Amino acid sequence: MKPSEVDTRVELGGLSLRNPVLAASGTFGYGQEFLPFFDLGRIGGFVAKSLTLEPRVGNPPPRIAEVSSGMLNAISLENVGVENFLREKLPALPEEVTVIASVFGRAPDEYAEGVRRLSESDRVAAIEVNASCPHVKSGGIEFGQDPTLLTELVRAAREATSLPLLVKLSPNVTDIAGMARICEAGGADAVSLINAVQALDVDVESRRPVLKNVLGGLSGPAIQPIALRMVWQVYQAVRIPICGIGGISTAQDAVKFLLCGATAIQVGTANYLNPMATEEISQGISAYAARQGVARIADLVGALRLEDA
Amino acid sequence: MTTDDGKNGNPQNRLPVRLDAEVVENRHEGGGNRRLVVEVAEWPDFRPGQFVMVSPGPRADVERWDPLLPRPMAIYRLRRDGGSTQLEILYKVSGRGTGLLAQAVSGQRVRLVGPLGCPFPAIEAGSGLRRILVGGGTGIASLFDLAARALEVASDPTGVQVLLGARSAEDLLGADDFETLGVTLSFATEDGSRGHRGFVTELLEQCLDADPDSMVYACGPTPMMERCAGISSERGVTCMVSLENHMACGFGVCLGCAAPVGSEGYALVCQEGPVFDAATVRWGEMP
Repeated sequence: MKPSEVDTRVELGGLSLRNPVLAASGTFGYGQEFLPFFDLGRIGGFVAKSLTLEPRVGNPPPRIAEVSSGMLNAISLENVGVENFLREKLPALPEEVTVIASVFGRAPDEYAEGVRRLSESDRVAAIEVNASCPHVKSGGIEFGQDPTLLTELVRAAREATSLPLLVKLSPNVTDIAGMARICEAGGADAVSLINAVQALDVDVESRRPVLKNVLGGLSGPAIQPIALRMVWQVYQAVRIPICGIGGISTAQDAVKFLLCGATAIQVGTANYLNPMATEEISQGISAYAARQGVARIADLVGALRLEDA
Repeated sequence: MTTDDGKNGNPQNRLPVRLDAEVVENRHEGGGNRRLVVEVAEWPDFRPGQFVMVSPGPRADVERWDPLLPRPMAIYRLRRDGGSTQLEILYKVSGRGTGLLAQAVSGQRVRLVGPLGCPFPAIEAGSGLRRILVGGGTGIASLFDLAARALEVASDPTGVQVLLGARSAEDLLGADDFETLGVTLSFATEDGSRGHRGFVTELLEQCLDADPDSMVYACGPTPMMERCAGISSERGVTCMVSLENHMACGFGVCLGCAAPVGSEGYALVCQEGPVFDAATVRWGEMP
């Protein structure tokens, strides 16, 4: 079998993708930054930078730091806002690009309003709710860290859209499977996991945290085994499809997530170091499938072998 | 290979490309400084002040993820000679990333993304302004091509004054190249081993006091650039600075390189900079 003969299409909770490779929110800007590098129509699509109703300025610097096989970031909510995205960013993209809009808010009704506005655009193919935003009334706890808050959030988002609804989960929880079940029960069409892992690094000479914000999110290859474990646990727990995220930098990494139960995957930090990573990973997955004699990439989903064959 | 089809998000930028370039030379230059020369196919033209992200090796081939991120580096010079195009980068070994890059031998490949960022404003002939370029440490590398292009349009070599500073003579990056160029050149070293003993900013004060009808371009450590900004503004002289910052991508998506520029908020050094009018930088808030 040739790589070009592999059927790469996958269905992610009602969203039809030409292949399972998406770019993760916050690592792909609003898409146009990558137009010089490759044809965005060749990947499954991308999740745009999370949007709030109003434009926001991010955190003071330093905002990022490199750690072993990963990076920390504390960018915060910096984004152009829902209206600017609809008016300026979306029209700048070629028709064939599949765009998933990501929504952030500080209360369920803020999320719902963002979801509603974005769903009115025919260029938005699906909505991903970013559940890692701190809830203002609950002293900064993330929506995705509290079962009650998450239930409210999913319900509000579900009522606000008929588009495919993905909920992006925080890994900073004890029971990731329980959180995924809440999303399923609330009517989410898919779950995306994992977001960045809460982390800290220190400069010993100055005795200060390296980030101005003190805490940041760890991403990159360092978090991949944690992400695989969580995808695998969620795959056992829910019937809705999973979008796997966490340190995916090569096609091999992506295949691991498919085998552990992800229907599609998102490439994050790797986009920074290699702006062509998503396209190369798409091609690499097809090459892997052809080599293994797998006709449909969808057949790899959950195909992890647990016992000696 | 991507070509310039006008689709770049930032129209002020030249279109960036990603390519894996072969190392021609990677040699020690004195101090902790090194000169990297790579052969690049189809490299787009760039303008002085633009930069490139450099990774020691195409990552997917070697699965080497530590250090993870590429490093932003100034484009020192581009040399086209017949069918060959060579890009030169001067850098200082200062950590794990540059330490790994220092080990790259000829024939090995390094990954480049660029050219990136907004350049220095183009220098037009006939303005009558003297151009004063102030470089400190590795910041000198950002100024070589600017000096060359300023000299092309200057009526005589005194129209381009280059002031270079470093800790010691051996740390003076590219000093021989600047001498070959034929600009008016002065040095300052903290230990007095070459030129003026002291800071390069002291040379700038002397220069501007002698002839304030000038425009200043500075690149170096933040305190040096802040001082250049102060010296220039006290004399009503425009000063452009090229800021350095940590960045993960270099093309406006990681949002990690935000710097306090403008009346409020932040500007991305990679995309809105690295070149800024020094008067717009809120120096007191620089990390």
